[in-house]
Amino acid sequence: MNISYNWLKKHVDLEGLTPEEVASRLTFSGAEVEGISYLAKGANLVIGEILECEPHPDSDHLHVLKVDEGKYGVEQIVCGAPNARKGLKVIVARVGAKLPEVEIKASRIRGVDSNGMCCSLLELGVDGKFLSDYQKAGIEELPADAPVGEEDVLGYLGLDDVVLELSLLPNRPDLYALNNVAKEVGCLFQRKVTLDEIQDYPLQKSSFTVGSNAEGCPLFTARVIKGVVTKPSPRWLSEVLTASGIRSINNIVDIGNFVMLLTGQPLNMYDADKLPEPSLIVRDDLEGDFKAMDGQTYPLRKGDLVVTSGGRGMCLAGVMTADECKVDENTKNIVVEAAYFYGAPIRHTSNRIGLSSDSSLRFCKGINPHQAEYVQRVTTALLKLLAEAGEVEETVVYDTMAHERKVINTNLAYINGRLGTSFPIDTVVATLRRDNFEVEADGEDLTVTVPSFRIDVDGKADLTEEVIRILGYEHVPSVLPNVELSLTGLTPRQTAERELRRHLLHLGLDEVVTYTLQSKAESTAFDYLDHGELYVLSNPMTVEREVVRPHLAHSLLSVASYNANRQNKSGAFFEVSDIDTKGCSSRHLGIVLYGDKPARVGNKGKAYDFYDIKGIVTSIFESLGLNENRYRLESWNKGGDEMHPYQTAMIYCGKKLLGYFGTLHPLALKKYDLKSAVLLELDLEELLSIKVSPIKASVPPKFPSVTRDLALLVPTTVTYEALRRELLRADPLIVKVEAFDLYTGEGVGEGYVSLAVSLTLLSKDKTLSEAEVNLAVKKALDAAAVKLGARMRQ
Amino acid sequence: MKNLIERAHVARAAALDALSKVIDEKALEDFYVSFLAKKGSIPGLMALMKEAEDKAAFGAAVNKARTEVVAAYESKKAALAEKALNLRLAREKIDITLPGEPTPLGHVNPYRLIIDEVTDIFLEMGYEVCEGRDVETDKFNFELLNVPKDHPSRDMQDTFYFGDDYLLRTQTSAAQAHKMSEMEEKKPIRMIAPGKAYRRDDDDMTHSHQFAQIEGLVVDKDISIAHLKATLELFAKKMFGQKREIRLRSSYFPFTEPSVEVDVSCFNCGGKGCPMCKGTGWIEILGAGMVNPRVLEACGYDPEVYSGFAFGVGVERVAMLRYGIDDIRRFYQNDFRFLKDYPVK
Repeated sequence: MNISYNWLKKHVDLEGLTPEEVASRLTFSGAEVEGISYLAKGANLVIGEILECEPHPDSDHLHVLKVDEGKYGVEQIVCGAPNARKGLKVIVARVGAKLPEVEIKASRIRGVDSNGMCCSLLELGVDGKFLSDYQKAGIEELPADAPVGEEDVLGYLGLDDVVLELSLLPNRPDLYALNNVAKEVGCLFQRKVTLDEIQDYPLQKSSFTVGSNAEGCPLFTARVIKGVVTKPSPRWLSEVLTASGIRSINNIVDIGNFVMLLTGQPLNMYDADKLPEPSLIVRDDLEGDFKAMDGQTYPLRKGDLVVTSGGRGMCLAGVMTADECKVDENTKNIVVEAAYFYGAPIRHTSNRIGLSSDSSLRFCKGINPHQAEYVQRVTTALLKLLAEAGEVEETVVYDTMAHERKVINTNLAYINGRLGTSFPIDTVVATLRRDNFEVEADGEDLTVTVPSFRIDVDGKADLTEEVIRILGYEHVPSVLPNVELSLTGLTPRQTAERELRRHLLHLGLDEVVTYTLQSKAESTAFDYLDHGELYVLSNPMTVEREVVRPHLAHSLLSVASYNANRQNKSGAFFEVSDIDTKGCSSRHLGIVLYGDKPARVGNKGKAYDFYDIKGIVTSIFESLGLNENRYRLESWNKGGDEMHPYQTAMIYCGKKLLGYFGTLHPLALKKYDLKSAVLLELDLEELLSIKVSPIKASVPPKFPSVTRDLALLVPTTVTYEALRRELLRADPLIVKVEAFDLYTGEGVGEGYVSLAVSLTLLSKDKTLSEAEVNLAVKKALDAAAVKLGARMRQ
Repeated sequence: MKNLIERAHVARAAALDALSKVIDEKALEDFYVSFLAKKGSIPGLMALMKEAEDKAAFGAAVNKARTEVVAAYESKKAALAEKALNLRLAREKIDITLPGEPTPLGHVNPYRLIIDEVTDIFLEMGYEVCEGRDVETDKFNFELLNVPKDHPSRDMQDTFYFGDDYLLRTQTSAAQAHKMSEMEEKKPIRMIAPGKAYRRDDDDMTHSHQFAQIEGLVVDKDISIAHLKATLELFAKKMFGQKREIRLRSSYFPFTEPSVEVDVSCFNCGGKGCPMCKGTGWIEILGAGMVNPRVLEACGYDPEVYSGFAFGVGVERVAMLRYGIDDIRRFYQNDFRFLKDYPVK
């Protein structure tokens, strides 16, 4: 909402205040002033008359002018405007003048002295949308009677106005009316407000009828006004409209817009003689085509509010009038409509057909339903004043709304309690009265009647807001709440997650954040921790962001891809994020390692591989207090083109699949434009819900342990884990088996690997003898040979 | 006799002379063999004892000679060892400017850094953390928060919908509604809810269809704006520095009444005015207010008994201001060259 400061000044005593001060006060009390713009700016201007206009001797388009500047005498000015001519009255920016874009200096243009500049309105900073092409192409042509030598040029032009741009929040739709802005400013500064007196005119009986069959229209009023004459608006009217960002058209249209600006009530005007019958009925059940005054045809749907006459649509309510009954320069008799439409249907219609207007905006925000008769009177007065209106009929009314003023009971303790203040009763009463509320005080109990235009106020909490927004939040003291002591802090689940994140960060992984929305295709790939049906948006912005991701794999690989394409050759990172599907809500941990591991200078870089991510997985489980007996790995059996079928493991806890990790499939690497990458995706919700057994202290052994290293030839079909279990099972003295070398190639037969393992033997009762150790090792070797076909390497 | 003592002196002198010519450990070993070993010239003097008349005097002379030579030998040995050690150390010189063994330290997306920091501040104040979900119902995101269908403030937030009832939450305030309505006994609440929120915005430097907020809620008897002000002052000082002040401006949110915007004195210029605060000395950091009695009521709290305050902090905005981040999309690109500035603590 744009406010003309000149208009405001006329109706509120703003003596001693600057537009900036007014703007700041409005902003602090809830109506943010987003911008303050001067319609035009320029000092050291004067109205001049071109006495001579000769072509420049050294140019085919410049003129050399002699300009009479009144008391400043006659100056020579070189001017390039095509419309410069002898006798023209012009705006001259004298030497030293500061315009929005330039400062005028005495100069020599192609050998000719030039002292000043003849200006266009554009050069004074006037927005081009208010100017004709002709005005924009040359210098401004002032009327023949413009006073030469006048220095208040902006005042003379009506361009000395300042526009306050109000950015209104939904709770103050009343401020879409200039009258209410004036009251607000008056209240804030405790200044006198003078609104225009509205003259009453004698009214004729009316045979016009109005009505509504639609729930969306509970109030409809109309007045027939005869004998209007269409002509240009007077300057004061076009100036107020210009300041508010509305282009002046003619007196009738301008009056409609001005009344709306003034009162917040959108008006509609019909050519009375073009209506099929003398009645207007609002309906919401019309279908078919509607030909609007912009020449376009719009389809009507059930639910659209339509003002009809004789069964035909005359106006798409609040949005646009029909072509057949629009007011034009030949119109004599008009019907003025002031109605109340609910915001919802207007918004639906306006959104559907893509048309919005100052009117539809006001209906959507909510208008004051209690002033239709007043609005009709204002309109009549203006039509009488500016459009030579003749006979005026009485207002015909359809009204099903309640118009009682809202009354709120509250008391001082409530207000001060909510604010934490200790305002005396007199201050509170005076403040509410300033704010146009009627207040009756009985001791500290208040009965408050809300002004009809404040449709946002309907409870006692609202009144506390009124008090403090007017008095200022600087009056609120700062007091910490008293709270009962209790055990708070993160839950064990939250702590576990936070520590897990820190664990990964200290392992050197970066923590990333990615978007939740992705495409359907991106979501079906990698969907191995199958939670259920995807959430698909009904109103996506693009197909690339259409569904809520069911996994993190794609997002993280995209991060790898993004970085790899920006010279970040390797990376190790993770994300913890919620995952939502219709089947379940969970939280996942995803890790991607790509490119080469960091290597010391002189050592060759090695790509991250399966065992790097496995190492991280092992450390995660250990840090959570879950030893390797609490989960197991199984070979990949899910197929697909995403994971390497022979370098991927699934992590199970009992029957529950917790997640998977492994090397990316070559086809997936290609898709993400990566050379190498490993991936983990883990259902954190499942992982962190596994019960952890309490710690039971171990006693370090009393007697020394013995280690024996064995190099075994093991068939490739046998896993290390199977060998390890077999060796451990062979003799109770064997307490630990660890692999320390793996070799294939020369000297190792086809179908075998050479695996070196270290056995730890220990008795808790004595120091072991050589013979006891040898016997246990022999049992282990026999078991490995018999059960697994492994033998000592010679 | 004199002659014998003389011979001891000569042997001593010869040994010391030979020792003075020793320059390395090999020569020192040879010296030891020639002069101090069993068959060396100094112990060899003892063989002359039987010829001595004054055995005591001769013995003393030999002992003196041996003690002196041994002492000189030991000191020479120590000097040579030190020299050898120094030589070895010099050979072991390395370039200390070469990089160390890669021991990577993870980096945190500044978005998470801010969430963790704000969370810690409120944990210290005794708040609990309730997170809520991204996919919400219309009821919790709007209805319970005093935004009924067709309420004008739904215009403020263009929402991603899944059918009619499910949506991506447009604000973490939805977590408020959950917490309040799910409290079995309607007891006091102090909670924050960090999380993601979504609006149908085109992504550009300052807009993102996905962003993070931290919602805060306190419900108790007799809670007032004064409590909100003190709490947010404490927060601003912890977050932006002890000298910071805050100011409240009247605003509007459907779920609070009164509603305020909270500005913090500019942490760049200290309030004098600079490009960061657009010359005003103040920076808008969050929205807050007293919980609207209708919200309390809808969530099962009696507004005649309980009151509360709520606030919402924009995570990316705080991070952008704090670190001077130019573009909100950086948070979601995760370029390592951007993340490198935020190592884990």
